[in-house]
Amino acid sequence: MIAVELRKLVLSRRTWVTILLIDALPTLVGILLAVTDIGPRPGTGPAFLSAVLTDGTLFPLAALGIVLPLFLPIAVAVTAGEAIAGEAQQGTLRYLLVRPVGRTRLLVAKLVSVMVFVVLTVLVVAATAYVLGALLLGSESVSTGATSVSGTGLSTQEMVLRTLLALAYAMLCMLGVAAIALFLSTVVRAPLSAALGTMGVLVASTLLLTLDAAHVLQPYLPTRYWLAFVDLFRDPILWRDVERGVLLQAAYVVVFLGAAWANFMTKDVTD
Amino acid sequence: MTSFNRWCVAALLTLLVIAVPAALHALPARDSDIGASDLLERVRTAEDHPWSGYVQTQGALALPVAEDFADVGALFSDDLRMRAWWRGSDDWRVDRLLVSGETDLVHQHGVTIEWSYERDRATISRDPDIRLPRAADVVPPVLTERLLRDVSSDDVRRIPARRVAGISAPGLRVEPSAPQSSIDHVDLWADPGSGVPLRVDVYAEDADSPSFVTELRDFSASRPAPSTTTFDGADGIDVEHDDVLDIADAANQYAPLRPPSTVGGLDMSSASDGAVGVYGVGITQLIAIPLRGREARPLREQLRQTPDVATSADDTLVTAGPVGVLLTGAADDGGWLITGTVTAETLRQAAIDLARGTTYVGEVG
Amino acid sequence: MIRTAGLTKHFGRITAVEDVGLDVREGDIYGFLGANGSGKTTTVRMLLGLVLATSGTIELLGRPMPASGRDVLPLVGAMVEGPASYPQLSGRTNLALLDASGPGGDRATRAGRIDDALGQVGLDGVDKRPVRAYSLGMRQRLGLAAALLRRPRLLVLDEPTNGLDPQGIREIRQLLVDLNRDGTTVFLSSHLLAEIEQMCTRVGVLDRGRLVLQDQLEHLQRPTGRTVIRTPDVGAARALLDGHVEQEEGETIWVRADDPLALNAALVGADVRVLELAPERRTLEDVVLEAAEQSGDRR
Repeated sequence: MIAVELRKLVLSRRTWVTILLIDALPTLVGILLAVTDIGPRPGTGPAFLSAVLTDGTLFPLAALGIVLPLFLPIAVAVTAGEAIAGEAQQGTLRYLLVRPVGRTRLLVAKLVSVMVFVVLTVLVVAATAYVLGALLLGSESVSTGATSVSGTGLSTQEMVLRTLLALAYAMLCMLGVAAIALFLSTVVRAPLSAALGTMGVLVASTLLLTLDAAHVLQPYLPTRYWLAFVDLFRDPILWRDVERGVLLQAAYVVVFLGAAWANFMTKDVTD
Repeated sequence: MTSFNRWCVAALLTLLVIAVPAALHALPARDSDIGASDLLERVRTAEDHPWSGYVQTQGALALPVAEDFADVGALFSDDLRMRAWWRGSDDWRVDRLLVSGETDLVHQHGVTIEWSYERDRATISRDPDIRLPRAADVVPPVLTERLLRDVSSDDVRRIPARRVAGISAPGLRVEPSAPQSSIDHVDLWADPGSGVPLRVDVYAEDADSPSFVTELRDFSASRPAPSTTTFDGADGIDVEHDDVLDIADAANQYAPLRPPSTVGGLDMSSASDGAVGVYGVGITQLIAIPLRGREARPLREQLRQTPDVATSADDTLVTAGPVGVLLTGAADDGGWLITGTVTAETLRQAAIDLARGTTYVGEVG
Repeated sequence: MIRTAGLTKHFGRITAVEDVGLDVREGDIYGFLGANGSGKTTTVRMLLGLVLATSGTIELLGRPMPASGRDVLPLVGAMVEGPASYPQLSGRTNLALLDASGPGGDRATRAGRIDDALGQVGLDGVDKRPVRAYSLGMRQRLGLAAALLRRPRLLVLDEPTNGLDPQGIREIRQLLVDLNRDGTTVFLSSHLLAEIEQMCTRVGVLDRGRLVLQDQLEHLQRPTGRTVIRTPDVGAARALLDGHVEQEEGETIWVRADDPLALNAALVGADVRVLELAPERRTLEDVVLEAAEQSGDRR
């Protein structure tokens, strides 16, 4: 079933259009930076963006910082929101279930397929950004090696390893979004409602993070540890938030996949 | 399995996921039977005990944030995240963690290197006697060391233990005896093994919640490796030498003034050797910095926009929790910036004493 | 093949299906008849495990549903409430994906089975075009092909001739009859009396959620004991059959007579010209309306 879902994902033109759209923003930013040579003021703008003018190899990370807060979660919410509600609306859900495909199996396959979509997107964004960074932006690190956030030198090997870790972490951060959207997708009839509901959750989470009164809630908010990938570039690596981020995403998967399962197993499929 | 049972399973999983960390968090602290004065002694002897950890502060002080004082203001009004490695008072590193960067202080042999990722620059300076507070001053052990300077065993009593960084830490309440102090009390909790303070809560007069909290969320009492407190800058980063650390240091070195030896009933501390006066000790302390017109003006404008500002013809006063800020002079004039954990009356008295007792010396530096 | 007992489904406070006891036997072409909204589709969905019954039991191929769905459903081909497919993909790809997503779709024989199924429904000509570009009739055929893909023992078809032209309807009808001859049991739900009358061997009628009738079609269509005669010599015929004529309408008369053969001989012997002479049978329509009325009265 997972293989079938992946084939559907790859065969869908929308998958690729979405990835291209997501990829367009960091590409545009990269080109603008290269042409104008005006970086954001230090300490402002997305992570690593002010550093890419001198060190183009950091651009994959900067691109990640650009797409992670908004573009990627929206794409994930839409894709995962489609999972069950989209099949139901299309009428294909009943044929899958009669085929028969186990309902739990279908849910898991859908989650896996969404995560593969995330992996594809992040890899495409990172690869484009790497090429762009190497061609257009500063190349300081070629002569001197990269600089960690803590000011120490990082060998190319370390840098590559940490970048891969950061990419993996960013992918993982989307698990919670995918699980929420998947759950909503089993509840509502229209895929758009599931996507909008998920985005609502994310917007609320982002808002509550800025509110001191919501202090007790903050460790549980899905977006709380998203930017912790920056911690992977401190020296020594600060694992604290990354660990918490991983656990939090796992908790979201457990809770919302559990709820999706509880709701979907005996749901009457009447579409 | 029926639908109801499945929802029960899902609800149970949710509950488990929420309850386990909450339960770990709410685990009660084991109290110890150590006495107040013993605990005070324990904390004092641990003053140079090595440690490392992750520090989180919560500042509820609405302090004006102006150019020269931006970092100080942020220190007490923002929530700071820091990592620290402490091998000794002359061998340490404190990283202030920012969302997309960090500012590190690495201190060895009397020299402090400040690395700012955003500015992509390392600044080397010697530590002056007089300077503004910096991130490294608010980690619990360093703050405690300052707060306990003139505290005797009569000023302290035990409070219940608290779980800090997973450790059951016995608590101590310090109530300052000096009438000038604006601090009602300070609560601190220390690691029972090493005596290193793990958490400090500062309460202003008549406040139910602390004005400032600094807490170690992860803590180790073992000596960090030497490499952790050495700044090993990458090739190609900008390195600058800075003769003047901050505005207090600058005023102290270059202003042609000498403040009086006592203001507001507080004696000048031995650290004062120039134009800047530090008065009082420990929990009850103020600093008086002479500012020129172009430094005083933006600060005055900032102060005036603060909600609790009291403006008169010749001074501007802001109190934020236990911290009072008084700037003398009006309009575009220069003036004395007097600030500390003292009452408003003490600040006003200090302003009068400074106006009366300051002597002019020849141009220095 | 299909056996239900006391099958009931409530949606909230609405009762969609109540106490339905279906009995579909091996080799039947079972016509499941009912007006739109009578609960047909809900019943079909319950048989396939899409909708869960509020109470009652279902047996499919001798196994309980939905508990044994994983074992039973691979042997069942189904079309429920119109076909559905991924519009951006070709028909062939759609069939391949569906076949790969569940058990019992042997990969080695997949391409061959897809060709066969497309051939059976008359879609062997089309290729590569995405389903988006298909006509309604082509989609209907593709849906049938999907149901036939694994050569099922039981076909459950909901309105299979929707959107087909008369030619297409005849082709599909012939296909189902052929499949049935080769051993496939067909469960056909429809609101079209004519369709069921022309094809089915056994009929169940659902009215407002209740099964009001279930029997072999030939039992339902048994002779009424009357003979219908069309003749231009109505007067002569009436004179000859005096007392037996029950009804008269233009050139047609209804005669109560036990033996149509003897009747014919008598008419011909009396020089009455006969255009048509046949024993009267009940139409399915009469039967259904009568059953519905009776159940309505009972309520």
